[in-house]
Amino acid sequence: MGELEDRRTAVSEARFESLLDTAADGVIVIDETGRMLVFNKICEQLFGYTSQEAIGQNVSLIMPPEFSVSHDRFMHNYHRTGEKRIIGIGREVSGMHRDGTVFPLELSVGEAKTAEGRQYIGVLRDLRSRRAVEQRVSQLQAQVVHMTRLSAMDEMGAAMAHELNQPLTALLLYLQAVARQVRACHADEKPPSDKMLGVLDKAVLEAERASHIVQRMRQMVEKRDPERATIDLREVVNEALDLSEFVAQGATVTIRRVFGMTPIQVDADATQIQQIILNLLRNALEVAKESEERWVKVSIGSDDRSAFVSVTDSGPGFSEDVGKSLFRTFSTTKKSGMGLGLAISRAIAQNHGGDLMADPGGNGQGATFTLMLPMHHSDEAEEDTWG
Amino acid sequence: MYIIVEDDPSVADALESLLSGAGLPVRVFASAEELIHSAPPTPEDTMIVDLGLPGMSGGELVRHLEKAGATPRVIAISGKSSRTIARETEGLAAVKILRKPPAADWLEAITA
Repeated sequence: MGELEDRRTAVSEARFESLLDTAADGVIVIDETGRMLVFNKICEQLFGYTSQEAIGQNVSLIMPPEFSVSHDRFMHNYHRTGEKRIIGIGREVSGMHRDGTVFPLELSVGEAKTAEGRQYIGVLRDLRSRRAVEQRVSQLQAQVVHMTRLSAMDEMGAAMAHELNQPLTALLLYLQAVARQVRACHADEKPPSDKMLGVLDKAVLEAERASHIVQRMRQMVEKRDPERATIDLREVVNEALDLSEFVAQGATVTIRRVFGMTPIQVDADATQIQQIILNLLRNALEVAKESEERWVKVSIGSDDRSAFVSVTDSGPGFSEDVGKSLFRTFSTTKKSGMGLGLAISRAIAQNHGGDLMADPGGNGQGATFTLMLPMHHSDEAEEDTWG
Repeated sequence: MYIIVEDDPSVADALESLLSGAGLPVRVFASAEELIHSAPPTPEDTMIVDLGLPGMSGGELVRHLEKAGATPRVIAISGKSSRTIARETEGLAAVKILRKPPAADWLEAITA
């Protein structure tokens, strides 16, 4: 009996060994005290220790010092309270190579109750290459967003010139008026009058109006890294609508705003969200312009988990075929590419953990585009620890 | 009489300051319709009109006055491209154009 059991154990151990060494991920087994019992080949590559060196040592060997201290505490806590902080969950943590290099790891932990007490099995995946790809993607995205902002700027160019013309014209005329009056006073040897000062004040106001327009445009165009912050979606959308109305001055499409009274907080980059809204709005206005009723409705709502911004137009909606290809890059039903805009908008939304959805409408219903973003949760304090 | 037809209140006010500061008689209208419903201008008047008025445009106003036979001297102001200005003033009798923003003294240009 005993002999057979021993043989079985030996076979299963050999199988386990070869499994460990062929695994694509790092595998570590530790006991209740944090001592490493298993350290596979991938771990040797990840951390720069041989398995002989590692086995028997505390697992804090492969953690940055700031985590190794808390790890003992977390294990202790778990044994005392049974509260699972990582077991069966998995999370992103930092590991440390023998040479001191700290790098991101995805760690999943399982627990086994053995005759020799509790043991924990950790599976580790190096996140560095994935991280590099993610970084590259978000860099590219930022670049493309910048480009679309520039092309939007191009379209706005004519509107802008017109908009700046007004305050500049008024400013120059006020100055011409004052210059004349000062010259006339000079000739008559009279002191300048209060009226001239009044005109100068108005000239200053016009100069400010012009610079305000430039500032607003600059905010839209400047290239910068995404900045996440907790924002009230209503404010951010409102600002985008104001800007759009300002650019489309004199247009005959009514923009209806359906907003609630309570703030809707999301964690997002305000400028990128405005970029999406402007994009949706531009498309909707274009469609609404050709329709009979000529309106665009922008509504904001939320449930427990998600916030929504919906943009509906008074147009005829679009066919199912169009709907399918809508988000494909470069696909468009218009001459001036809106496909790219939608594809980018969706990418931005997904980057925020949200999405961009289209309801094609039809049968007298206009199309609706809905931007969905996860709601902000203040109690979501994530700790980056091994515990 | 100098008649200003301009929808931007600041531009209208600045023009008025310039002309009335020089002692010239001025009346200001915010739209073509407002002017038409008031007393029609006479050939002795000078009308400074923004081509890009909302509602009836500046060009349409001039055409309307020409048809009614009450054509004042017309100075058109515009911030648009020269091509757009050419299209908007097509078929009108001699119209002087001043482009926004001003590159020279407008009082001289208007009273010349």
